Amino acid sequence: MRMNQIIEISIPQLLLALLFILVAQAASLIHKLGLGRDISIGTIRTVAQLFLMGYALTFIFGAQTLWLTLGIFVVMVFSAVFIIRGRVKEKQIPYEVPTFLTMLSSYFLTALFVSWLVIGVHPWWEPRYFIPTAGMVIGNSMSALAISIERLFSQMRQQRDVVEMKLCLGANCREASADIFKGALKAGMIPSINAMMGVGLVFIPGMMSGQILAGADPLIAIRYQIVVMFMLVGSTAISSIIVMRIIRRRCFGQSEELLVSPE
Amino acid sequence: MSPLLEIKDLSFGYDKGSAPVFEHLDLVVQKGECVIVKGASGSGKSTLLRLICRLNIPRSGEILFKSKNVAEIPPPELRSKITYVQQIPQMIDGTVRDNLRLPFTFARGQHKAAPDDAALMRMLDAFYLHGVSLNQFALKLSVGQKQRLSIMRAILNEPDMLLLDEPTSALDAESAAMVFSIIERLSTSEGKTLVIVTHSDYSPAVPKVRKCIFRNGKLECA
Repeated sequence: MRMNQIIEISIPQLLLALLFILVAQAASLIHKLGLGRDISIGTIRTVAQLFLMGYALTFIFGAQTLWLTLGIFVVMVFSAVFIIRGRVKEKQIPYEVPTFLTMLSSYFLTALFVSWLVIGVHPWWEPRYFIPTAGMVIGNSMSALAISIERLFSQMRQQRDVVEMKLCLGANCREASADIFKGALKAGMIPSINAMMGVGLVFIPGMMSGQILAGADPLIAIRYQIVVMFMLVGSTAISSIIVMRIIRRRCFGQSEELLVSPE
Repeated sequence: MSPLLEIKDLSFGYDKGSAPVFEHLDLVVQKGECVIVKGASGSGKSTLLRLICRLNIPRSGEILFKSKNVAEIPPPELRSKITYVQQIPQMIDGTVRDNLRLPFTFARGQHKAAPDDAALMRMLDAFYLHGVSLNQFALKLSVGQKQRLSIMRAILNEPDMLLLDEPTSALDAESAAMVFSIIERLSTSEGKTLVIVTHSDYSPAVPKVRKCIFRNGKLECA
């Protein structure tokens, strides 16, 4: 078989892959894990969402419209904030709007930088490049942000007395929460840094696997993957730092009094 | 001479629409005074101290420190001048030295010279912490030792006024006696202005002492 030749998966072949789901269902049944419903819903959602995305991307790639591409980008960021909201159970401090605006601006700049300057696509918004690039940035940073934001709030609550002790000794709100801020930021960034350590040794990333399966030269695929890995670390760092700084300030009032109430 | 602290018509409640913890509270504290505030649990004693240093914000009324509204003083400056010592002493994860020098690591305290080890050792003795070394981990000290250390740390910050929240509530009789002795020395020998919230029947043997009690949401002072 020659490189660049894609083997199409037919519907019967696709159904054959359902055997893996049946194995998972059987495991859940035998060990009474109670995961049957979740596995079924997950399977249906995977098929439905990906088919929907496939048709949507086919349409967007065909339409070649700037505003449609940007519209999809905004929907992706909005969905990411919605997912973060589900993971971070914070009711007291509003953080969704600054998170959305920061993600929107920083990920746009990252995706723009990569598709325009690094890959060199013209026009810069060419959907075939811009949307997958943005998708990878948003997906990766969303997990990092969810971890960091959740950690910031939980630590502010747990270490409330220590934060107030520092405030009472003349610290400003940044100084009083510096350790918590650093810890939360690190917790969010470590997974993408660890991914750089393991890539190519422990695992072949999804994008590179996809390109290779689609018939691309592995030497070209690795270049794309290197760009992606660097992009993910950078965009995670930028968005996390900006979002966390805004949220940290929101944890304190006008008189730098801690607003996060005890658990 | 204008008072060091003046509280006028102060009201506080935790949430909008909730019942107030107290209303229309007035209090004047002169320089060098030792004000003891008593009252039942939940009467608002600790809240009063937290309002003075703006860890909580009042619903209405004003608090003047040296005739200036505390809301207009930058918070780090205000809290360096009026230092609140919490009921349960808090230490950072570090040595006794790290904890005592903590205020000097903040932007507000960086212009002040941090005390050297010899000065700290002398102070440890004065605060009945004879056996404690500067290299010891602060989190491993007993509650009584941590309480004395936290008062000492606040004093090192050279505040004009010290707010002590139930300073002996978690201590055994021996440790409590040491803290009382420190309070009396700070008031008598060093002329510090103190506002102390307490449950106990403690009455310090100091010349400028004044007792206040929370009753039915009102603060009554002798």
